[in-house]
Amino acid sequence: MPSAIPKSSPQTGITKFTNCLLVKGDRLVKDDLWISSVTGKILQSQEVFYEHQATADRILDLGGRILAPGFIDVQLNGWCGFDFSVVPNEPSAYPKGIRQVNKKLIETGVTSYLPTIPSQKKELYTKALPHLGPSGKNRDPADGAESLGAHVEGPFISPTKNGIHTLGVLQTPTSGFSSLEDCYGSAHLSPDSATQIKKITIAPELPGALSCIPQLTARNIIVSIGHSEATFETATSAISAGATMITHLFNAMRPLHHRNPGIFGILGTSASPRSSRSTSPTSTSPSTPTFLSTSLSPHPKPFFGIIADGIHLHPTSITIAYASHPTGFILVTDAMALAGLPDGTYPWTNGELITKRGAQLTLNDSETIAGTSITLIQCVENFVNWCGIGVAEGVRAVTETPAKMLGLRGTKGGLEPGCDADLVVLGEAVSEDGWKELRVEQVWKFGECVHGETE
Amino acid sequence: MRLLIREDPEAASRYIADYIIDRIKVFDPTPEKPFVLGLPTGSSPEIIYMILVQRYKDGDISFRNVVTFNMDEYVGIPREHPESYHSFMYKHFFSHVDVDPGNIHILNGNAPDLEAECIAYEEKIKQAGGIELFLGGIGPDGHIAFNEPGSSMKSRTRVKTLAYDTIIANSRFFGNDLTKVPKMALTVGVQTVLDAREIVIIITGAHKALALQKCIEEGVNHMWTLSSLQLHPHPMIVVDEDATLELRVKTVKYFKSIENVASQLGFEQILPSEARTGAKRNAIIEQLQSPKDKKPNGFYVLAPKPPQLAISTAVTPELVPDSMSSRISPEDSTPLDNPVHDEVSFKAMSQRITPLGA
Repeated sequence: MPSAIPKSSPQTGITKFTNCLLVKGDRLVKDDLWISSVTGKILQSQEVFYEHQATADRILDLGGRILAPGFIDVQLNGWCGFDFSVVPNEPSAYPKGIRQVNKKLIETGVTSYLPTIPSQKKELYTKALPHLGPSGKNRDPADGAESLGAHVEGPFISPTKNGIHTLGVLQTPTSGFSSLEDCYGSAHLSPDSATQIKKITIAPELPGALSCIPQLTARNIIVSIGHSEATFETATSAISAGATMITHLFNAMRPLHHRNPGIFGILGTSASPRSSRSTSPTSTSPSTPTFLSTSLSPHPKPFFGIIADGIHLHPTSITIAYASHPTGFILVTDAMALAGLPDGTYPWTNGELITKRGAQLTLNDSETIAGTSITLIQCVENFVNWCGIGVAEGVRAVTETPAKMLGLRGTKGGLEPGCDADLVVLGEAVSEDGWKELRVEQVWKFGECVHGETE
Repeated sequence: MRLLIREDPEAASRYIADYIIDRIKVFDPTPEKPFVLGLPTGSSPEIIYMILVQRYKDGDISFRNVVTFNMDEYVGIPREHPESYHSFMYKHFFSHVDVDPGNIHILNGNAPDLEAECIAYEEKIKQAGGIELFLGGIGPDGHIAFNEPGSSMKSRTRVKTLAYDTIIANSRFFGNDLTKVPKMALTVGVQTVLDAREIVIIITGAHKALALQKCIEEGVNHMWTLSSLQLHPHPMIVVDEDATLELRVKTVKYFKSIENVASQLGFEQILPSEARTGAKRNAIIEQLQSPKDKKPNGFYVLAPKPPQLAISTAVTPELVPDSMSSRISPEDSTPLDNPVHDEVSFKAMSQRITPLGA
């Protein structure tokens, strides 16, 4: 019979996930997903089926579990004892350490990330940045998590909002862009460079900072406002200049004040024209404070990072931030090098000790908080439970939204055909007190399962 | 004409799904001898596909050796457009079962030469050995596939301009924008459907009651193209109660009584199709032509002798729910003593070998 093709069809390298809930926008959709281990991408299954008459080699029944894009962490300082800001004397030790980070980190569901370096001396950038560029070129699943480029958090930040950044290394970009080139090395700012910085956190109120912003964005470097004393007005100018992100909203910035809402106030602006009367009184008297009529911004609201570890922010603050701009909300861990290690006491710099208890790090076994070691899935779990939202909305804050912020929509953070087949299978359970628990059960990178059992 | 009336669309759909599964199983398709199935799109068949998918997932049926031909497709919308019939079939059926994509045939509404596409389609059906069972639905105007009122009853696969009310009806799938609705389609012809060895039609809902009435109570009329079914040897229409609203009480009672009598006599209202009677006919012709002294043997071992029923229909093999062994009485086992078997040596293997020392 001419129309019946032979039974032994060739291997196609296609895996089909079935009986699963796909994260699409803010909803879970019951559908199948086809991926290719050959291209490492998500397939337009209908086209493959009709055009290439190909079917899946392997069909995985996920038993109703959630299939999400791989997570993206845009602020991660280290993992499993390795610190991106510490370059050992042995030259091969640093890249080797990064490779180990990539292999371990992916087990938590983070398939791509921005290795983040808080304020450092120039020498450290020279040594570290050549190793922190995008690492996914080989598209090898065995490499583990993929760097999407470095995030330099400082040193052009406010000395009064330094957090745990060392005061001595902070700088002011008095010479504008050349100050930045001098600090990071011009090669790491060039769009032609394989080790170009992806994102810079900067305090826009510093002299010379604002003028740097258009130059950075022209080079496709993302500018994020953070560690800053910026007023609402300065922050608005930074957004007008091209900043599109706020680094860990609420932390290391002025709090919301009703007369000057500060950086947070930008989330109250509206990009769409609306019938608003000027907030400036028509006749001004010296005793009446006047406000700039900047609640109407021609620019879209910026994205913003949120650390949902229960230490940095009150859950209610997170709910307010989410309500003000749901599609700009990005969960970040800002996790320190001890993240990923078991609980215990570890040596720290200058002979100090850090005790890790769950996500909390304390200095010398005191009450002093020394950062966080939370995982991104824990952040999602907290966010989902604190804000009473669906898992899809929670997942969006670590997938679609950071991908949009990074300009990688269509490649990362989505399940649309053509996106990289970086995937996370999530298990869900509700405990007796109503708390929704989320577990990373499988992790896929470039179309291959790299963590968890598939049978 | 078989008309089966079920309580609701769900029950009507289940009947058809079960029927198709039975037919495929009895046919026992192989890669060399696939079951050729004609398929429709639309809201009425949706439940049928849902049930077929479920039965596949339960392991009751495989579509591995089923070759499919779809009825129609729009002209000029991309294959991956959500409203294309490619998308419909993929979404509701093909992506969930084990049908081989190489065995699927859907008209290509974007072919550079539409006429050639239609001619090739007819040829492909012929090459596949003709359609064993054509499943279909109808429009409220009684059209089958895109054979709108006024289509030739002898029509073949061709380009068809859609009727204005079909375009209006379809606009709900295209954002209520008439300009976006395709104005043309490729469709199998009325005669293409009639060529199938069996036709099964689902009609549900009060809005299709008039069409059903026109098609089965009145004459063959090109304004109600489904009425052409009256000229087919084995058509079956399965409807829900709502679709019978325009029928005469007498018509409804008649078809219901046929089904009742049949089930009282121990068989369902499943008539053998040409394929099944064909096998029997060949045996009978052979018997008639062969010399009188040659007894027919072996035939009844494969198919039990039908019980003598008042109605001249054969009971199909799959409806005898007994084990194979119980069908063979000691007297009937004579074929096993047929001289043919004497030729087979049942000696132990060792006995056939000459000892090495000899």
